[in-house]
Amino acid sequence: MLVSLRELKKYVNLEGLTAEEIAEGLTFAGIEVEEVTTLASGTNLTIGHILECENHPDSDHLHILQVDLGKYGVEQIVCGAPNARKGLKVIVSRVGAKLPGGEIKASTIRGVSSNGMCCSLLELGVDSKYLSPEQTKGIEELPEDAPIGIDNVLEYLGLDDQILNLKVLANRPDLLSLYNVAREVGAIFEREVKIPTYIVKADFNTELKVGSLTDKCTQFSGREINNIVIKESPKFIQNALRSMGVRSINNIVDIGNYVMLLTGQPLHMYDKDKLPAHNLFAESEYEGSFVALDEKTYDIVKGDIVICSDHKPMCLGGVMGSLECAVDASSKNIYIEAASFDGASIRHTSSRLGLSSESSQRFVKGTNHFQAEDVINFATYLIKEYCDAKSVSNIVTYQSEAKPDLTLKCSVSKINNRLGTSFSKEEVKKALSRLNFEVKFVDDDNFVSVTPSYRLDVTCDADLSEEVIRLLGFDFVPSILPELNVKVGALSAKQKRLRNIREYLLSQGVDECLTYSLVSKKNADKFNLLNSEEKYQLLNPLTDEREIFRSHIAYSLLESANFNVSRQVKDLQLFECANIVTKSSRSEHLSIVLVGNKLLREQMEKRPVNFFDLKGLVEGIFTILGIESSRYKFERFVSEKEELHPGKSAKIIFQNNCIGVFGELHPNALAEFDFGKLPVLLLEMNLDSLLEAKVSVNKMQPISRFPTVSRDLAFVVDKKVAASEIIKAIKMIGKGIVKEVNIFDVYEGINIIGNRKSVAINITLGSDHTLTDKEIVDTMDKIKFELNKKFDIELRM
Amino acid sequence: MEDNKIEEIVAIALSETESSDNSDQLQEIRNRYLSKKSELMSLMSNLGELSIEKRKEFGQKLNAAKAKISEVINAKQEELKKRELAARLAKEEIDISLPSYQTLPGGKNPFHVIIDEMTDIFLGMGFEVEDGPEVEQDLYNFELLNIPHDHPARDMQDTFYISDSLLLRTHTSPVQAHAMEKAQGKPVRIICPGKTYRRDDDDATHSHQFGQIEGLVIDKNINIGHLKATLELFAKKMFGEKREIRLRPSYFPFTEPSVEVDITCANCDGKGCSMCKGTGYIEVLGGGMVHPNVLKMNGYDPEEYSGFAFGIGIERVAILRYGIDDIRKFYQNDVRFLHQYRKKA
Repeated sequence: MLVSLRELKKYVNLEGLTAEEIAEGLTFAGIEVEEVTTLASGTNLTIGHILECENHPDSDHLHILQVDLGKYGVEQIVCGAPNARKGLKVIVSRVGAKLPGGEIKASTIRGVSSNGMCCSLLELGVDSKYLSPEQTKGIEELPEDAPIGIDNVLEYLGLDDQILNLKVLANRPDLLSLYNVAREVGAIFEREVKIPTYIVKADFNTELKVGSLTDKCTQFSGREINNIVIKESPKFIQNALRSMGVRSINNIVDIGNYVMLLTGQPLHMYDKDKLPAHNLFAESEYEGSFVALDEKTYDIVKGDIVICSDHKPMCLGGVMGSLECAVDASSKNIYIEAASFDGASIRHTSSRLGLSSESSQRFVKGTNHFQAEDVINFATYLIKEYCDAKSVSNIVTYQSEAKPDLTLKCSVSKINNRLGTSFSKEEVKKALSRLNFEVKFVDDDNFVSVTPSYRLDVTCDADLSEEVIRLLGFDFVPSILPELNVKVGALSAKQKRLRNIREYLLSQGVDECLTYSLVSKKNADKFNLLNSEEKYQLLNPLTDEREIFRSHIAYSLLESANFNVSRQVKDLQLFECANIVTKSSRSEHLSIVLVGNKLLREQMEKRPVNFFDLKGLVEGIFTILGIESSRYKFERFVSEKEELHPGKSAKIIFQNNCIGVFGELHPNALAEFDFGKLPVLLLEMNLDSLLEAKVSVNKMQPISRFPTVSRDLAFVVDKKVAASEIIKAIKMIGKGIVKEVNIFDVYEGINIIGNRKSVAINITLGSDHTLTDKEIVDTMDKIKFELNKKFDIELRM
Repeated sequence: MEDNKIEEIVAIALSETESSDNSDQLQEIRNRYLSKKSELMSLMSNLGELSIEKRKEFGQKLNAAKAKISEVINAKQEELKKRELAARLAKEEIDISLPSYQTLPGGKNPFHVIIDEMTDIFLGMGFEVEDGPEVEQDLYNFELLNIPHDHPARDMQDTFYISDSLLLRTHTSPVQAHAMEKAQGKPVRIICPGKTYRRDDDDATHSHQFGQIEGLVIDKNINIGHLKATLELFAKKMFGEKREIRLRPSYFPFTEPSVEVDITCANCDGKGCSMCKGTGYIEVLGGGMVHPNVLKMNGYDPEEYSGFAFGIGIERVAILRYGIDDIRKFYQNDVRFLHQYRKKA
């Protein structure tokens, strides 16, 4: 809401207050002033009379003017405006003038000296939206009687104004009215407020019938006004509109807008002689099309509020009138409408049709449903004065809702309890009275308050406490920490585990990322390694890129990796934990991406990342959560999709479920990224079962005081036999004596014949006594024998 | 004559020892003068020809000569060993400025840095952490927060809908309703960090996805002074002990009174600078006293219980603290950006 200080001053005494002080007062009363601007600015301005106008000899568009500046003499000015001509009165900025665009200096333009500039309003800083196309193309043309040589040019032009830009929040639609802003300012600064009222006597009774066939219109008032003359508005209305951001059209349109800006009630005018009948009814069941004032055709659907005459649409209520009954230059007799419409319906209609106006915005935010007749009287007064109306009818009104009860019961103690303050009875009463609440105390504490009718937002005692504190200021609120029962604030076990996982990965040098939850439909199923269920899709996405609520993180993280690689950062370790929501579940996911090299010693020593880097991180997670390796296993990941390398990928099996998949990217999956030949490893894991898994307390295991013995074993075995199977078998065979089994070499190559590999294993033996040579030899023999039986091994040493 | 011979040999041996400069050479000298076949020892074989008197005397001289040579060689050997070790050590000198073997910790996206730090601050004040669904029912996101269907704050423009009744939460406030539902009329003290979504085009200052931390306290006799003190404490912990806060009246449908909370600008200490547009204050969060309608709808008697709630923008806090100039940086994960946040608080 743009508030003109010049207009505001007419209704509230602002003497001695600067625009900045008023802005601050409003802001700290909860009405944020976003900025204070001047409508126009310029020093060294005056008005001149063009005495001579010749074409510049060296230019096809410049003129050389001799301008009479009254007491400032006659100056020669070179001017490029197409409308510069002899006899015109113009705004002149003299040498030394400071304009929004810079300072005016004496100069020589193509050999001709020029002392000053003839100005357009644009050059004084007036926004082009308030100007006609002619005004923006040339210099401003002043009336013939403009006084030359004056100094107060901005005042003469009605541009001597400061504008407060109010951010009106949803609870205060009443402030979309200059009158109510005046009341508010009056309350804040304890200044006198004078809001005029107008009563216009009816000359006759109208035939007009008004009403509503829908509950979306609860009030409808109308009046007939005859024999109006359409012409230009008086200057004070034009100036007021310009200051408050509305362009002047003609007297009748301007009066409608002016009254709306002052009262907050939008008006609509119908050309009475173009209506099919003398009735106007609000309906919301109409379906069809409609040619509006802007000469475009719009579809009307059920739910739109339509004002009909004989069931023919004459106006899209609160949004736009029809062309058919529009008031134009030839209109003589009009009906004027002031109604109340359901904000949500107006919002739907205006957003569907892309039609938003000062009127529709006021209806959307909420208007006062009980001031229509006063507003019509105000408008009628102006129409009689400035449209030369000859006769006006009575006002006909339809009203379906009863006036709300504006009394509230409250108490000083309730207000103080809520605010933590210790205001007295008198302070509370005075604060509320300043805001035009009528307060009557029933005892020392309790009171009854009557809310002013324009304050639609005050409905309970909490609201009254807010009124008191916003007027008196939050400095009165003491800062005291609540005395609450002592409670241990702690993360839940699940939250703690999640944080531990994140901190573990960070400690391993993996960077924690954040990516968008919304993805494109095209990419929504790529790298959905866990086959997460059906995804949610937005009804109203902004772009195709962000349409689906993702079911996995992996693709987003690959995109982040790609972002880095395309910026020449190629050694990456990234992870993200995020909550994943699908149609059937909500779970915590983890994704990891490794790319390029693992830097052991910066660039001096590095090696390409591989499957086992990722496997190590997974095992690390289990370890820090206290889940022993016997409780989970890795299985080969089989998929028809060419996303992961079939030989270098695995499933993580925990509690008989596949909770994660990881591995190297399939060569065919690399194509859509910029990874080139870089190795890329990817993991997607559902953490839920890990976060909830039962984990026992670590009971200390005694460390044997007897020495252990270490033996190596090397053999050739079929390539398909997994190392983990061999280890498991050795542990089984030597149960009780075998303490540890470690693979220390696997070799496949020229010396190994067939589909076989050489495996070298170190076995640690130990017991509750010092092992004898015989025990050691027997155990090793047993291991060799059993391994041979099980895996067909061929010993190498 | 033999005596002279001994002295001569000793003199030569000592001189050779003196001039030797490595252990191999020294070993040779030792062999030459002290081994059984050495010249000195061959003199020993002549002892038999001498009288007992002479033999004894000569033997002593020989032994003394042998001891002398041995002592000098040993001393030399010690010296050479030291010198050789020193030489070896000098040769083994490395460039200690070369890169180390180190696993640097990963960088934590500042979004998470702020969440983790704020969480710790509020845990210290006895809060618990709740989480709620990002895909939320209209009921929780709006209805139960005193934002009925026709409320102007519910502009379709701002909300991503999945269906008429399902949407992406536009704030973390629905967790208030979930927490109250869970607490069944008992006191509540929770925060909820999380992701939220609004229908905004992404640019340097807008993001369709952003983070919030919601806070809610419900108990008997809670007033707005408690909110003020809690947020003051938070501001000091988060932005430094010198920070002050200021409350400005504002409007949220689910709190009454509602406030915007400004914190004195850390850049200029409240004196006014370009960062705070000369005001000395920076707006960081919103809050207020839980609206009686919200308490009622969620099972509390507003005559008995009251509460305060607040919401803090996570990126907003990170931007203020770290001077991040573009909100999209949080979501791009440029590791050169992430690596700036390795520091543990």
